[in-house]
Amino acid sequence: MLEVRPPSLPLAIGLALFAIAGQAFSDSPAPNMPAPTPSQLLNVPVTTILPGDVDLAPNIKNPVADDSAAAARGMKYFANFNCVGCHADNGGGGMGPALSNRAFLYGGKPENIYLTIAQGRPNGMPAWGSLLPSSVIWDLVAYVKSISSEPEESWGKTTSLEALKTEQVPAEFQSTPDPWKYTQPFADGQKPSGG
Amino acid sequence: MTAHHHRLALVAGPALALAAFIMGAIGSGAVLADPQNEQNRQGSAQAPNELEATPPSPQPPAAAETKPPEQPEGAPSPQPPAAAETKPPEQPEGAPSPQAPATAETKPPEQPEGKTQTFGNETPSTEKPVESKSAASNLEDLSQDPKQWPTAAKNYASTRYSELDEINTTNVGKLQMAWAFSLGTNKGQEAAPLIVDNVLYVIGPYPNEVFALDATTGDLKWSYAPKPDPAVQGVACCDVVTRGLAYDQGKIFIATLDNHAVALDAKSGQELWHTKLGEISKGETITMAPLAAKGKIFIGNSGGEMGVRGWVTALNEKDGTIAWRAYSTGPDKDVLIGDDFKPFYGSLKAKDLGVSSWPPDHWKNGGGTVWGWISYNPEFNLIYYGTANPGPWNSNQRPGDNLWTTTIFARDADTGAAKWAYQMNPHDLWDYDEINENVLLDLDIDGQPRKVLVHIGRNGFMYVIDRQTGEVLSADPYDTVTSIKSIDLKTGRPVVDESLHPDLEKVIRNVCPASPGAKDWQPTAWSPRTKLLYVPHQHLCMNFKTSQVGYIAGTPFVGATVDMFAGPGGYRGEFMAWDPVAKKKVWSISENFPVWSGTMVTAGDIAIYGTMDRWLKAVNAKTGEVLWKFHAGSGFIGQPVTYQGSDGRQYIAILSGVGGWSGAIANAEIDPRVRNGALGFAGANQDLPAYTKGGSELIVFAIPKQAAVQAEAAP
Repeated sequence: MLEVRPPSLPLAIGLALFAIAGQAFSDSPAPNMPAPTPSQLLNVPVTTILPGDVDLAPNIKNPVADDSAAAARGMKYFANFNCVGCHADNGGGGMGPALSNRAFLYGGKPENIYLTIAQGRPNGMPAWGSLLPSSVIWDLVAYVKSISSEPEESWGKTTSLEALKTEQVPAEFQSTPDPWKYTQPFADGQKPSGG
Repeated sequence: MTAHHHRLALVAGPALALAAFIMGAIGSGAVLADPQNEQNRQGSAQAPNELEATPPSPQPPAAAETKPPEQPEGAPSPQPPAAAETKPPEQPEGAPSPQAPATAETKPPEQPEGKTQTFGNETPSTEKPVESKSAASNLEDLSQDPKQWPTAAKNYASTRYSELDEINTTNVGKLQMAWAFSLGTNKGQEAAPLIVDNVLYVIGPYPNEVFALDATTGDLKWSYAPKPDPAVQGVACCDVVTRGLAYDQGKIFIATLDNHAVALDAKSGQELWHTKLGEISKGETITMAPLAAKGKIFIGNSGGEMGVRGWVTALNEKDGTIAWRAYSTGPDKDVLIGDDFKPFYGSLKAKDLGVSSWPPDHWKNGGGTVWGWISYNPEFNLIYYGTANPGPWNSNQRPGDNLWTTTIFARDADTGAAKWAYQMNPHDLWDYDEINENVLLDLDIDGQPRKVLVHIGRNGFMYVIDRQTGEVLSADPYDTVTSIKSIDLKTGRPVVDESLHPDLEKVIRNVCPASPGAKDWQPTAWSPRTKLLYVPHQHLCMNFKTSQVGYIAGTPFVGATVDMFAGPGGYRGEFMAWDPVAKKKVWSISENFPVWSGTMVTAGDIAIYGTMDRWLKAVNAKTGEVLWKFHAGSGFIGQPVTYQGSDGRQYIAILSGVGGWSGAIANAEIDPRVRNGALGFAGANQDLPAYTKGGSELIVFAIPKQAAVQAEAAP
């Protein structure tokens, strides 16, 4: 019987990255806002039920929220780290859930998305925290927030042939961190109007 | 100390390579450093790589239709466009240690992997068994018994044909639901139920619960719940399906999505052994239905979208130990290619082609998974199966033929030694896995009796192959094909349309068939009465754009933006009858959605299939006339089977529950407004959620007793 999996690959990768970068992963994102501290992140709940109704949630902002280039960097990382393979171009979903709407299984605030990427989630989301520096994750958060800003704002969603009216211009024709800016009539499975 | 050093050394190579890749992916390393941070020894002032500017270009010009709708000369399609569905998984993997024998850990039965619950009266049923071709009898004999359906394909030749004829063209219109059972997991239901001695065995998608029911009354006898790792859901490419289970010698054999083979006692449901066959951390999963033959269980892996290295493994039925494993890529000794290997085509005769037909080391992540069907020929003691696509989908990253992906292997069932192989899509460009079923038939071709294998190619061609030699006797398109012009019968190689070559980052339009192929995993049936093959399939084309992708273990390895849509004529699926000797379509029924269910055909001359928009249909096998249909709770992507109950009546059973690659859009969080979702299938089936949701109902049909009596009495 052979052991296929090297026992400490993540550690080895971490060490190798350390060697190459010449420093430990920095927790500092882009300069325009202070990054949340580890203890702030530790207090981010993954539920809205808080015993005693005591709100622990620290007021965290994405440190690159005001960086207009962050979402574009995040889009590049989304492809480079194979996020796109599961969540699909423009976050349409597939192996992983869609990120193209306002529904988030583990919370849609920037800190929720950050922690989902860093820690992984039990039903299939890998934990990227040991591989990616936090600045990269915050850029990914900026991108996810951008692609999730669907135009429909109703609380629930109606599905019917009549209700399905628009679709995005597909990614092979429009590469953008803001895909909800480019829409076309819903094609009902037929060739898209642009293609 | 030494051991530790050794371990680190083993790891350092891949780890450094991955680290270097990640640095590259992040872009210059600058983002790793905080510009504000005084300790930043990189001192890099480099700006992070900017995304290429994406001018908000106007709508691309509309593409001209490339092909007229080349409708076959077959019978008219009586059905209005109905809905249909699609999607297969494929998988490759990258095992760093090619030399390694199969990795597996077999656990003794004392530590059950899952839980069995027994229900009702535990004493053996006092009903009279239908006929005792029971536990002790040979599986081959059992498969000849019309009362049983003991393997997913009904028999080793994979004909999915039953001699039962109580339900036939004259009375099928009276078919009614006899009983139903909910599996409780509303994911894609692709599995074939098995029936042995009036017990129906069925397995659900992840978490792969198994149920044994009285096949006549529907009473639950036992259930078994394995404990797969929930994380596996994140590495299964195309919903969390399974295509079925296996029976032999009083045992039930299953494979869980997270790579465990398990044997159960068929009577009690108690776990006998379990063996771990693969690693989800490397993207491996198992979705195929195991096959039992000659005291062995044959199981292959999935993960063609994850950089998995494909294999098929033979386990010993009695204890779950591994008899042999044959990889689909790498050196001959791993592929089990030796002196007995005699491929028909000269281009396949060189040494270690599984290494030399790839860029250096790429075969370790090259795919060629084995997630489809295995047929067995007792006369030659050979198993036949096809391998999946090479990884990544971006073909620009893997110059070469990429052997032995998209290849049919004939292997000795005892040793695994390859006897012949034939590659259908050298250097696959479009994810044309060739894992589809191989139907073993004896046909008269050009006046000569030939022992053939019919392979309904994902690439849109119907192959008739000599199953002793691997020679292609004919290969003809059965749906719209733009990507391949023809198959050169001298070399066995496809003549591809070079104008559609997927250059890096270039949008290639109107590629037909789309990535799921003209047909995916959904198996066909063959009737010896009509001498026709019944083929459920899709009718889709696509736009396709490649991009560079890096391999990170356990994550997708694809590198393609895909956007599928209905083929010429606007319909998306078809159920057809094909004559493999005359090499033509005899009749066809167009469906709105891909026909993602399997089918079966009987001596009553009816063929059964289901649609993604929830219709189960019985058609006249000779004419294609729809004789009966039933609107169920969820779309059909399952496999119909038929058997005789302890009351002597004929039953038809199938799972209802849409999903799979083509149907995940209706059972999972996939946005119908984003065409590129679900590896491009979202585009083709974006309106499916307006027709169905997921489900998990086993539905069993029969002709009511009263009606049956009346029909008999009728002149």
